[in-house]
Amino acid sequence: MLLEHLFRHQSGRVVAHLTHLLGPAHLDLAEEAMQEAMLRALQTWPYQGVPDNAAAWLFRVAHNAAIDAVRRNRLLAEKTDALVGELSSSGAAASSDPDVEEQLRDDELRMIFMCCHPDISRDARVALSLKAVGGFSVREIARAFLADEAAIAQRLVRAKRQIRDGRLTLEMPGDRELKSRLDSVLDVLYFMFNEGYAAHEGGELIRQDLCLEALRLARLVASSSIAEPRADALVALMALQAARQPARVDHAGDLVVFEDQDRSRWDRQLIGLGFQYFDRSMSGEEVSEYHVQAAIAATHVRAAADRAPDWPLILHLYDQLMSLNASPVVALNRAVAVAKVHGPAMGLAAIEPLDSDPHLRDYYLLLAVRGHLLLELGRAAEAAACFRAALERPCSEPERRFLKRKLELASGSPQRR
Amino acid sequence: MAQYMLLLYDDPTSWASLSPEEMQKATEKYMAWTQKSFTRDSNRLAPDLGRVIRSEGGHPRATDGPYSETKEILGGYYTIEAASYDEAVQLSLAHPHLDYGGTIEVRQVWEL
Repeated sequence: MLLEHLFRHQSGRVVAHLTHLLGPAHLDLAEEAMQEAMLRALQTWPYQGVPDNAAAWLFRVAHNAAIDAVRRNRLLAEKTDALVGELSSSGAAASSDPDVEEQLRDDELRMIFMCCHPDISRDARVALSLKAVGGFSVREIARAFLADEAAIAQRLVRAKRQIRDGRLTLEMPGDRELKSRLDSVLDVLYFMFNEGYAAHEGGELIRQDLCLEALRLARLVASSSIAEPRADALVALMALQAARQPARVDHAGDLVVFEDQDRSRWDRQLIGLGFQYFDRSMSGEEVSEYHVQAAIAATHVRAAADRAPDWPLILHLYDQLMSLNASPVVALNRAVAVAKVHGPAMGLAAIEPLDSDPHLRDYYLLLAVRGHLLLELGRAAEAAACFRAALERPCSEPERRFLKRKLELASGSPQRR
Repeated sequence: MAQYMLLLYDDPTSWASLSPEEMQKATEKYMAWTQKSFTRDSNRLAPDLGRVIRSEGGHPRATDGPYSETKEILGGYYTIEAASYDEAVQLSLAHPHLDYGGTIEVRQVWEL
């Protein structure tokens, strides 16, 4: 009926544009105007049919709602009439006009850069980006991050106050700040993508919406004039990982490990996009973490049908990644590669130092990997203990079922629970 | 076939907390319903309170509506065809309006 995610995508663009005209201090008003436009759509489209250009309709009606609000609140006092004039002409502009298109993309970009301003706390940057640019609601954001709705709402209130108090603008930061702001934006988008990719929530393993939204915004950033090769690398990384999503979960909603994945279900288009941006990221000397992660994702995807990927290369890339970021999660992923190249015993040795890492104490995957390696070494009883312990940690339903199957394998008998 | 009126009441503020995705899904559901074969007519009422006209001490007077303090406001109506009240109700149970906290009053158009 309607283009998928029409309302949500338009929401980001319209809110960004209205905020540009009204000023960031009135972000709330911009959001309300968009909400009003969507309500009007709900109230009229079922009876009058969908307008020829649905996006333009929403754009125009949101502008009108903003005009009403500006007049009602006598916003900006003496500047009210000028503001109303600007809103009127903007709302009337044909949104199929390429200049308008470019303006809207530009506004969205400025918006996400503002949302990642250093004055705003890191947690709030993600929430604000998802709300203002991504068009997600407080409830949806809370669900994605397994957080309390009220806590997310509070974060947003605080962030908006910081915008007002700090008089933040939609101006792009100057050269000196640009690099760190770009890093902040990429960091937020990376976080967003990861949350979507390995959603911890109840029944769903993958929150496709979050992943694709992060990818969309990353592309927006990468295609702008202030982008750097590492932005291209991030797009490549996201596209190549998202490409494999359709095969990660089978028809029953159960987890499928890489070796067993039906590669014909990988998204060809996303793979193409991924390699396109991977090539672009190679321009220049820069080798960021995103570059290395993209290379790892590319190596997985390049594996010929029914053949294992180039594990020695993957191990080498993880060594490189460790030198850039020796996080425990990277170390764990590296250990898996070690096991593939040098055998399960070496893999276990690589995991050992991680057992005492407090960051991984609640990470079920550490126990699951150890259990898997023990199973490969024929140490079934120890493996079973690992899987049992892993089940006591937080994880999603498909992950839970996966662990139970491994536990059954290890204990040689079906588990009742 | 008999005709029935479906009067849709809702609290307009209940839409305020829906996300864009939810608003779109709701719009699509409503769109699907108005296209059903048994729908003869459907209209959305303008989002204002309207007027209420009654006689006070022999003088007809108009005041702002609605007359009661209810939060729910008549937002729209459908006229559908159904073989019986039961069928009309059955059909109405599937209306998305109910998913969003609204109320539907079903009344038969009296055939004389």
